[in-house]
Amino acid sequence: MRATPWICRPCLSRIARPAIRRQLRFQSSAAAAETIAPALLSRARTIALEHERLNEKLANGFDSKSAKKLGEYSVIVRALKEWEAASEAAAELTTLIHDSSTDTELRDLAADDLDATRTQLVNASQALTTSLVPIHPFAHLPCLVEIRPGAGGSEAAIFAGDLLRMYQAFCSRNSLRATLLKFENADGTTEAGVPLSEAILEIESENAYGIFRCEAGVHRVQRVPATETKGRTHTSAASVLVLPSLNENAAGEEDFENPESDYYVDPKEVRVEIMRARGAGGQHVNTTDSAVRLTHMPTMTMVSMQDSRSQPKNKEKAWKLLRSRLAQARREKREEEMVNIRRSVVGVAKMGRGDKVRTYNWGQQRVTDHRSGITVHDLDDVMQGGQTLDTVMESVRNWLMERDVEALIAEESSRK
Amino acid sequence: MPRLATSLLREAYAIHPCLPLLLRPCRDLQAARNELRWLCEHAGKVARLRRAKGRDADPKQLLKRLVQERAAGKPLQYLLGTEFFGDLEIRCQPGVLIPRQETAASVMHLTRLLRAALDLPPELRVLDLCTGTGCIPLLIADELTRCRQDVQLRLLGVDVSDKALRLAQYNLHQTQRKGRLSDTAKVAFIHADLLMEPFDVQPAQTLCLKKAMNYSRVPPFWDVFVSNPPYISPAAYWKTTTRSVRGFEPKLALVPPLPADPATDTEHGDIFYPHLLAMARDVEAKIVLLEVADLAQAGRVAEMAQNMAIFDGIEIWRDQPDQPAEERGAQPSRFPIIGQGNGRSVLCWRARGGSWLGKGPSPVSPLDDARRLWESHRVSSSFFDFKFNSRL
Repeated sequence: MRATPWICRPCLSRIARPAIRRQLRFQSSAAAAETIAPALLSRARTIALEHERLNEKLANGFDSKSAKKLGEYSVIVRALKEWEAASEAAAELTTLIHDSSTDTELRDLAADDLDATRTQLVNASQALTTSLVPIHPFAHLPCLVEIRPGAGGSEAAIFAGDLLRMYQAFCSRNSLRATLLKFENADGTTEAGVPLSEAILEIESENAYGIFRCEAGVHRVQRVPATETKGRTHTSAASVLVLPSLNENAAGEEDFENPESDYYVDPKEVRVEIMRARGAGGQHVNTTDSAVRLTHMPTMTMVSMQDSRSQPKNKEKAWKLLRSRLAQARREKREEEMVNIRRSVVGVAKMGRGDKVRTYNWGQQRVTDHRSGITVHDLDDVMQGGQTLDTVMESVRNWLMERDVEALIAEESSRK
Repeated sequence: MPRLATSLLREAYAIHPCLPLLLRPCRDLQAARNELRWLCEHAGKVARLRRAKGRDADPKQLLKRLVQERAAGKPLQYLLGTEFFGDLEIRCQPGVLIPRQETAASVMHLTRLLRAALDLPPELRVLDLCTGTGCIPLLIADELTRCRQDVQLRLLGVDVSDKALRLAQYNLHQTQRKGRLSDTAKVAFIHADLLMEPFDVQPAQTLCLKKAMNYSRVPPFWDVFVSNPPYISPAAYWKTTTRSVRGFEPKLALVPPLPADPATDTEHGDIFYPHLLAMARDVEAKIVLLEVADLAQAGRVAEMAQNMAIFDGIEIWRDQPDQPAEERGAQPSRFPIIGQGNGRSVLCWRARGGSWLGKGPSPVSPLDDARRLWESHRVSSSFFDFKFNSRL
């Protein structure tokens, strides 16, 4: 007779499985490690060196560009210093504990201290990592949120309207200034409450692009539509397009002293050539050559002017022309960037239910973001733009940052 | 001078029948086209004015005459009647030197440095010797008063030529009429011969600078001392000046007069500078800016200034002193050379001039400064005694 009684196979396989199944997160990686990737560390160290060099350079003469860079770097340098101090302290404490000559009392004290230092180290390494992540160049700008219904017919149009209301509520709760630039119904009128065909919301507050950047993509809805008569659940989608609103930034021609302006040209980057008299010059020749040529060194844009008999006047005109040419080039470049952003966001044509970034499920009262993997169950609060929406958006922003860190590490290690 | 290519002449003729004539003085199509445009504008303007007065005028005939004169070498500035000196339009007449762009560049750079000075005196006095059209004092007044309303300016131009002085007065009047001269600037012009010593016999018409200044009741002490004297030696006059300069501009303003003592060619070209530096010392100038022909002359003038032992610093400026210095091999020079182009002027400063120019305060105390001025007087007066005795 066998010692063990017969056990059914499903029960046997259940034993092999862990009793409590752990919720696995596949896409996000929120690992708060006290170690930091060596590639990131070396990058931080090079930046610290660069910071020192810039500091020296600024001591000799002011330069608005390097001053701005210095300001950006100083955060990283501070974080690096903190991390170095914390890691040194941790290493010291560890050697103290492992040292056999240490007496027990001291060892206990060190062990107590080590925990605090460990948490400090974790905080410091996290701060260092986040400081290294390049801030999106347009993050500080106001933004435009465009909402359009995707696959799913009139249900999609209704959901698009719901999304618009959600964002408007979110803005008013977070005191962001939002204006509706365009609102068009399915019937082509601006009457509210009818399924939406297109809406553009402008959020004029600063940093709006940084906040709303994570919202771009296809939002999927699963619910029994109001238009459904047989009670079936439909899956529809609406697309959200988020663009930085750059027009605010384009300052007029008058304030070319302002480095933010398109018309700003750093005089140090321009080579001024004056057509010199042949030979000895001075009293020896009475030349009428008053031509002036300016060359913008970084772009090699060249402007020459010889209309007037007065050299200063020619110079002034040449500067004006150079400024407007560079401004034109910059505007074109910016517009191209805009086109690229537009293209990179999912186009209206391939706005299917598959490429979704987030699902709103009415039946389970659940909102799941497919990028960060977060699931929340307070659907009503989300649709009213409440605190829960904040939580979801925050998690997506963290996810984006982690992606940036990974890209940074990959870039650094590929460079070696 | 190389002959103009026939293809170039033909190309010019295809653009405008007058252009080949203008190619003769210009040698370059772009420059000739510019000149033709300016001449056309001028002819049109003159014809309009004449017609308004009821006289008959054909702009085409006028243009033809102007182009012919220009082809003969007459400077464009004399034909058009004006030349731009910095931002100012200065009247030019045959018999008075045309203002040069390089002079304007040096003067503008000097005023730009002075504009930034924090401790300018309530009245800044500027003395310009060999003023010609009066362009230098007028430009300094225009540039300085535009952003320094807190400083009263007093400017004095000196010249030996009556014609130049009349033209300078006219230019002053014109600048005032156009509203370019603010009330805080006072400009005057006087007649004096700089090469005349105070103890020489003074002819009825001409006085030496000291006596002329006494006579006109102008103050004896000046802060800024500027001069664009005749500096071309007789040999260089024939070799390096262009035909248009030789043929139409006054030799008086270009070549120093023949010295009494026999001198070499270079010494002849440098005649004015010892006199100018002595005058700068006599008026206790804090800043001295002297225009020179080239780097070699600049070196000699800087040496002279160094030997006087009254200056805190000496610099040589090139044609464009506001541009970053050009790396043209390291010249063995005792003085810093600034800017790009030919050597153009020598800048010296003493006492408070250093801090006005942004070169830092004077290393010498005011007492020592007075002492070295006096020492310098004594050295040079013994030199004059020697000359006086030898003449006896």
